[in-house]
Amino acid sequence: MAGVCYGKAGVDILKDIALDLSVRRVGIVGRNGSGKSTLVRLLCGLIAPDRGHVRVDGVDCFADRRAALRTVGILFQNPDHQIIFPTVGEEVAFGLRQLGHSKSEAQQLARATLDRFGRADWYDRSVQALSQGQRHLVCLMSVLAMQPKVIILDEPFSGLDIPTTRALRRELDGIEATLVHVTHDPVSLADYDHVIWLSEGRIEEQGSAESVLARFVERMEREGEQDAFADFSG
Amino acid sequence: MLSLTSPVRTPYHRLPAGPKLLVLSLVTFLLFAVETWVFMLAALAVVALLFAIPGRPFWTEGLRLLRPVSFFVAIVLVWHIATGDVGAGVTICLRLVVAISLANLVTLTTRMEDMLDVVRKLFAPLRRFGLSPDILAFSVALVVRFAPVLLEKGSRLAEAWRARSARRARWNIILPLTLIALDDADHVSEALRARGGLDTGY
Amino acid sequence: MEKNVVLIALFAALIAVLGMIPKIDLISGVPITAQSLGVMLCGTVLGARRGALAVLLFLLLVALGLPLLAGGRGGLGLFVSPSAGFLIGFPLAAFVTGLVVEKAVGLPLAAAAFLGAVLGGIVALYIPGIIGMAITLDKSLPEAAMLALPFLPGDLIKAGIAGVLTSALAKARPEALLSRAAH
Repeated sequence: MAGVCYGKAGVDILKDIALDLSVRRVGIVGRNGSGKSTLVRLLCGLIAPDRGHVRVDGVDCFADRRAALRTVGILFQNPDHQIIFPTVGEEVAFGLRQLGHSKSEAQQLARATLDRFGRADWYDRSVQALSQGQRHLVCLMSVLAMQPKVIILDEPFSGLDIPTTRALRRELDGIEATLVHVTHDPVSLADYDHVIWLSEGRIEEQGSAESVLARFVERMEREGEQDAFADFSG
Repeated sequence: MLSLTSPVRTPYHRLPAGPKLLVLSLVTFLLFAVETWVFMLAALAVVALLFAIPGRPFWTEGLRLLRPVSFFVAIVLVWHIATGDVGAGVTICLRLVVAISLANLVTLTTRMEDMLDVVRKLFAPLRRFGLSPDILAFSVALVVRFAPVLLEKGSRLAEAWRARSARRARWNIILPLTLIALDDADHVSEALRARGGLDTGY
Repeated sequence: MEKNVVLIALFAALIAVLGMIPKIDLISGVPITAQSLGVMLCGTVLGARRGALAVLLFLLLVALGLPLLAGGRGGLGLFVSPSAGFLIGFPLAAFVTGLVVEKAVGLPLAAAAFLGAVLGGIVALYIPGIIGMAITLDKSLPEAAMLALPFLPGDLIKAGIAGVLTSALAKARPEALLSRAAH
């Protein structure tokens, strides 16, 4: 994955970000409003940078949406914002249809994906009847079914209990694709290859998980002792 | 979400949706064209028989769906007793009950997907005007998915209101609920674009 | 494209939900549901065309047999019942409401939304509604109009609420108010 990007939107959310990454597990940490979610949207081509350019595996995901589908998949924070269809089968098959598979092919591949996760009986299940954690898994399966080279996780564990988080983490650890994991929780990035610390739209620091996270935690605790709301920017 | 399709399996479930709807429209047209009470009574007998064949639970379901009409039946009867034209009143009420029961029969015995297929076929000519039947079917799925989601968020808002107020939540929660719908629309369309959007030939 | 389809679908869902939340006692003893308020909001927020489409989508789901109409009603039976005219009037109501808000740019938003809700949510809704009752109940138009009269006070109050809500929505999400967006 090679990506150099300069981005800003309206009130300078990201300022002159330059990144070039080629490792399999990338973590991005930062406080609320540090520009994490803007960076995520740039990476998967949902928004275009004002200046500079973004490439993921050589693909400009904003301009070439078709190629983008095969390149980047994103797991949003809230499954209720992501799941579009009433039943699990339709949801998983949708992305496959988007990749150009025929209806029956898409259904077959969707079943195969569910089967791989031992959830074959979910195909006709109503999304509404699933728990929060199960819905997260549906989102993950929908993304994995499309076999993107890079998967972006936007705070995937927020609001989940410990067993659900563990189970979801286990699924994620087994994934072949490159993971870009965005979070404010340093613990979940401990065994990542590379961690980027975003602060106020700039890269504060990047490097090995151990060193970056240690300094991030130290700074967060210091800021927590002061007035955490003082420079809160939403 | 629950659809109104009856869990009681009936022989009518197996009939194709298109012809069922066609017969329904023809009979309904006849009911409003013919004015005699003999015809209405005969029609009522046929409909009652149709509801009776699958057995008691189905019969009860049919009656339950008629409850909202009872209000109108009462008004019409009172009106016509007052004006002295009871015969006409009875004919009108019979027609209402027969027409609505028959339509309910189709609703009860047709799966939503089959109904949607008929709609899709009916809409196919509209493709020329840029309204794709696929987008229509997609929108239907979206509503089925998001009505319960919004309902749940609405109940949470009502709870949050009651946690801080002695009075019951009233129309005050409509504003935040509408805001939620607007924000959800942002998120969902973004998630949709992340997976290729609607232009890639879905 | 996606945004429009999703907005229309979510507002169709919103109409359904407003019919499901517990009835609101506006004046003592007159329970009304917020469903027709939802129809008005479709017009004032989404504008004439998108608003009418959202309501049409909602009606389609009701016709397909989903119990989305206030009181958990749904199915084809409704479209031959005495309230059929009101159902058919729903999209028209949203369209007229939206049209008034789009055209009356000289008026403050709350006033335009109220006026739109009265002209759309009441006038444009009651005309097909009354015709529908006249046909199904075999009554003359003035007689049918009398049957609709008891709903008028509640609907006037809803039009007022629609006005207030619309201007509050415009303050909270100025960019979301498509009825007043630059065309």
